[in-house]
Amino acid sequence: MDFTFTDEQQMLRDSVSGFLTKNYDFDQRNEIVRSDTGWSRDIWRQFAELGLLGLPFPENQGGFGGGATETVAIAEPFGAHLLAEPYIACISLGGAAVAAAGNSDWLEKVMNGDAIAAFAYEEGRGTADPIQVTMQATPTDEGFILTGEKRMVLAGGEADILVVAAELDDELGLFLVDPSADGLSVTSYPTMDGRRAANIRFEAVLANSIMEKPGEAIRTLLDNAILAICAESVGAMGALMKQTAEYAGTRKQFGVSIGSFQVVAHRMADMKIAYNKARATLLYSAALIEAGEATQKDIAILKGQTGKLGREIGEAAIQTHGGVGMTDELSVSHYHKRILANDALLGSSEYHLRKVGTLS
Amino acid sequence: MDIDFGSKLEDFRAEVGAFLDEAPTPAIREAGRKLTSVFAPFEQCMEWHQILHKKGWAAPSWPKEYGGTGWSVEQRYIFAEEYRKRDLPPLLPQSLGMVGPLLIDLGTEEQKEKYLPGILGGLDFWAQGYSEPNSGSDLASLSCRADADGDDYIINGSKIWTTYAHHANRMFMLVRTDNSGKKQQGITFLLLDRVDYEGMEIRPIVGLDGSPEQCEVFFDNVRVPQSGRVGEENDGWTVAKHLLKHERGGSAASPTLKRGLERVREAAKSTPSGFGSMMVDDPVFQRDMGELEADIASYEHFEKLAVSGHPMANDPSFPSMNKTMNSELVQRVSVMITRVTGTEAIPFQNEALRVGANVEPLGTDLDLVAMPYYLNSRATTIYAGSNEVQRDLIARTVGREG
Repeated sequence: MDFTFTDEQQMLRDSVSGFLTKNYDFDQRNEIVRSDTGWSRDIWRQFAELGLLGLPFPENQGGFGGGATETVAIAEPFGAHLLAEPYIACISLGGAAVAAAGNSDWLEKVMNGDAIAAFAYEEGRGTADPIQVTMQATPTDEGFILTGEKRMVLAGGEADILVVAAELDDELGLFLVDPSADGLSVTSYPTMDGRRAANIRFEAVLANSIMEKPGEAIRTLLDNAILAICAESVGAMGALMKQTAEYAGTRKQFGVSIGSFQVVAHRMADMKIAYNKARATLLYSAALIEAGEATQKDIAILKGQTGKLGREIGEAAIQTHGGVGMTDELSVSHYHKRILANDALLGSSEYHLRKVGTLS
Repeated sequence: MDIDFGSKLEDFRAEVGAFLDEAPTPAIREAGRKLTSVFAPFEQCMEWHQILHKKGWAAPSWPKEYGGTGWSVEQRYIFAEEYRKRDLPPLLPQSLGMVGPLLIDLGTEEQKEKYLPGILGGLDFWAQGYSEPNSGSDLASLSCRADADGDDYIINGSKIWTTYAHHANRMFMLVRTDNSGKKQQGITFLLLDRVDYEGMEIRPIVGLDGSPEQCEVFFDNVRVPQSGRVGEENDGWTVAKHLLKHERGGSAASPTLKRGLERVREAAKSTPSGFGSMMVDDPVFQRDMGELEADIASYEHFEKLAVSGHPMANDPSFPSMNKTMNSELVQRVSVMITRVTGTEAIPFQNEALRVGANVEPLGTDLDLVAMPYYLNSRATTIYAGSNEVQRDLIARTVGREG
């Protein structure tokens, strides 16, 4: 057994970390988030040049054939820097869906950074499991017709192509939709953790089927996206722990650093335990996925633990910071908000922990 | 023991209900529905305060001779229940709940005459200037100083976490007037009859929910009259401790918690659990709701015992226990709200949250307030003495119960 990064993976991680440290500190990040577009095309282009946009895709499709560990290696630094660019939206979800369907035209554009692909999946107050998808695809002579609504489509407002998950004959299928198609109305908004998303209404929208009866392919896609999301959260948790330790060591009340009070010291200890649990589960899950051995229970453990432990760390970080932890100015609350948003996506920890209990 | 609320009180409940149904303007109701904090949207809150004052109901807990309602504790509880049922914005606590009762207890006749009418009538809003950048939990270490100069004090220093100071026209504050003794000695309690003195600057702080609720207040040689002092010079800590009883005591907080749960239960009827049923029918959700509801019930019982005059409320740590219980329940309810709203709580919708904004929210009212309310509620275990400090105070009393 070995759960460490290889030299190559470590180099990849270091290069992403180094790039973000140089170009993406908290102030630079906030400037990007507050801009009209909410994320930087310039950073995105540089991601393409660094090979990050093609990283997880198979070599025979023009990608770099990165696996689960590579995803972790880059997504942890993304979380530590509160990335606003749509990597998870366009690569881990939209791009992965296009790749799974074998659509090389769109995949190439995505990998080059020339197109944003968004994955329209979530509905209602969240879609924890594919069987909860209710949008129907109706076959007609001209193609498939989609009617219904998708919500919380990450990068849905700036997408050049939408990959829509909809039910066809009691099974999930994937459909390509042109965002300018008739019958489509898109409501874009910023998310509370500094990303962009959209609610999209479909009124008899014409769509191309790219994958019918995908079976396990959708699960695999979602599992890999969950890994990326969790890695990002764990990266945010690490940053929170470090910052909180620094603050507790320097903030003085009653004439001493607050970290010297046992109640604060023990909270820091609990944060460290929580972080190590979450990171161990993340790395172990990555190894399971890479070996093709990850069960639905393993994935549920990963998502459930990351959400639960992340919330614990975020809340502890704010409490330890006191008043300043409540401000927009400090990054502390922004990390917590990213962790909470990630928890809500693709099924919350509440859902996944219960699922763990239901699976033998 | 006697649990009876009294039969006449059903008439009272009906009277309160009828007024609360009819009196608030649409904007006031909207402010209540869009509540994401203990501190309601300012303008509508003050408008509502003035309407309640006209009715004579602005300060149910004040003594009757100072404009209170003269209601029994049962009536006050019923009023709070009916109030929360309608999601009306709570009145701001700094004036009515803090400086008002303090002046009634400790103010000079001149101070009472000058300030109580504006507090009761909702014409003035008082900011609370306690915390400083380096004095949070260790409040007594505060260093914002006031030097006597003739009939005045000259104030230098700064305050922080001064809620709604940018809306205030008056302010009460603690200042350092002596450094020679223990830190608790040498503190003086001052009333500022205005906040636009030369040398005074108020800067709002944007909170984690994206809204400016807190402020920093800077004093650069600000000259204020000594007649604003409450109590003796250097005796402000005693005055502040007296006021903390009002700040941490709370009156009837459980109706707010219960109303929060009710809204969760309602939303759970149309939210799928992911396990084949709606959340409301899901056993796990029911178990979690049950645990929280039972804890809120115990807190309600604790509150009701206290207002009925049970000796439990005479425990020196009662205010700290009350504050700790209430703040942590508020946070648990807020988590439950985000749980039932799920991904619908993730959009950032501050524009739709503004009262009077003509922006349609993306989802329901609960979806709209869920995340800002959760985020804002993180402050409840930090402000008014962090829960760590409260537990220290409670710990000192364990084993010394009468």
